[in-house]
Amino acid sequence: MRTNTSRADVRTWVQASILLFLGLYLLDSLLTGQINNYVNTDRFGWVPWMGTLILLALGLISFYEILRPPKRAPAQEPDHDHADHDHAGHGHDHTAAPSWLKLILVGLPLLIGLLIPSKPLGASAVAANGVSSNFSSLGGSTAQFAIPPKDRNVLDWVRAFNNTSDVKDFVGQPADLIGFVYRDIRFDGKPQFMVARFTISCCVADAAALGVIVQATDAANWTADSWVHVTGKFDSQTIDGRATPVLLADSIVAAAQPDHPYLYP
Amino acid sequence: MDVGAFVATFSTRFLGIFIEAVAFLLLGTLISGLLEVFVTNDDVVKLMPRNPIAATIAGSMLGFLFPVCECGVVPVTRRLFQKGLPVSVGITFLLAAPVMNPIVLASTYAAFGFGPILIGRYVISWVMAVSIGLLFSFQNHPQRLINPSALALISGGSAEATTVPMQRMALVPGFKKALKLAGDEFFEMGRYLVVGCFLAALMGTLVTQQQLQALASNPVNSVLVMAGLAFVLSLCSTVDAFVALGFARTFTTGSILTFLTFGPMVDIKTTSMYLGTFRRKTVFYMVVLPFLISVLAGIWMNLNVKF
Repeated sequence: MRTNTSRADVRTWVQASILLFLGLYLLDSLLTGQINNYVNTDRFGWVPWMGTLILLALGLISFYEILRPPKRAPAQEPDHDHADHDHAGHGHDHTAAPSWLKLILVGLPLLIGLLIPSKPLGASAVAANGVSSNFSSLGGSTAQFAIPPKDRNVLDWVRAFNNTSDVKDFVGQPADLIGFVYRDIRFDGKPQFMVARFTISCCVADAAALGVIVQATDAANWTADSWVHVTGKFDSQTIDGRATPVLLADSIVAAAQPDHPYLYP
Repeated sequence: MDVGAFVATFSTRFLGIFIEAVAFLLLGTLISGLLEVFVTNDDVVKLMPRNPIAATIAGSMLGFLFPVCECGVVPVTRRLFQKGLPVSVGITFLLAAPVMNPIVLASTYAAFGFGPILIGRYVISWVMAVSIGLLFSFQNHPQRLINPSALALISGGSAEATTVPMQRMALVPGFKKALKLAGDEFFEMGRYLVVGCFLAALMGTLVTQQQLQALASNPVNSVLVMAGLAFVLSLCSTVDAFVALGFARTFTTGSILTFLTFGPMVDIKTTSMYLGTFRRKTVFYMVVLPFLISVLAGIWMNLNVKF
């Protein structure tokens, strides 16, 4: 029935495999929580689920089409209604498998996902993107003032600093923060680093870095990108001519990377 | 930045954009497959008004019927072209649907509430999509706008299939065929999406946003910067309102509107997908016209409207 289809058959197998395995890769990311490295799962967790379910459906139907017993030649089939005729007619789609170029391009995300270890954006991504040290790119809100100081995360604090007329109001307030260590030239020669987090609204495409300056005698011992748990009290220092809150650390301990590495504004 | 850190950052960005976008592309190809088997060419011709202006306006509202963002709209539009939709109406649908649909209406409302941004986004997008569509309706040979392979490829490899009157299929074989078609079209469109995500991730990794902040309050420069940012970031139109919210305090209101009207129509990944459907010349106009209109609208609002 088919001629010269062996090469096309290979491509049909590859096509079905990419669909199915891309679906399985996404399913694995969703089940292991790795998806949190890429997507705001609080608000948009349904998006990768939708993609996963469609991919698995497409992959399974493709394998079903490949593996089902070959159809009788259309000529032998008696008295077909039109709908079924179309279905048999689409048998020739198998020979129109995607070209190798398409297969390689669409397979690329799967390869990258499988070969490169999954990591959330970290300190080196801040360097490329610029940390928003003036905090002003955040939407105005006063909800964070309702949160007790010890329960505020980096985002809540930065918002609080951003919505106050005098940062000296924060002097003496206790804080308990988890984030990764970030340094740039502003901290050269100072016993300081930033405890930083990325915020994402949708996915890492809109990631923005935020941070709180931490001061500690052993600040230099903490390597960039390592996750730390910092507790202490705020003080106000003048940095670049601006009154800036600085967290004087009582304790800094190594922390595990949180399940949700990004904060969701 | 060393190579290891670059690869890690790039791959995270690439996969993040891809995972979000691919879900909507898949939804689009699925809708496209279902259209193919359950909607006949007659239905499309019957539903569309004869009058070109009325048809173009109807095309701008079609997004409320097929709620797709800019990743999903391209396969649906290609399918509608194949079903006999006039090219100018299709272009209007293509440009309008990523904004004129219930999901984006909800997300824009959630981010900005009912106010100048929401109203401005919808009015400007609608005017852009309809006027550009009408402009294309003056082309006497609409088929010259479309990449000929785009029509042939989606009908299973043979161009003549586009002229065969299709019957509505029965439910179960119809669904099976729709899935098979979606699987094929996913590879057709998916390659452009991958290229687009790749470039967007590369730019996102290399371009520093701090440099852009300096231009945030200038009425002209801020608009140009936000247009460029919309193109480069290639955000999904269903979520770009939340991202724009992050810029709303520093950047001018006109530039936020440019971001929200230009971005859904034109960005790196949609341009890449347009090239798979339209001729290069058509794509050129589909990029330049929205750019000019949205930038002029943004600058005009900055200079003349008090918010």
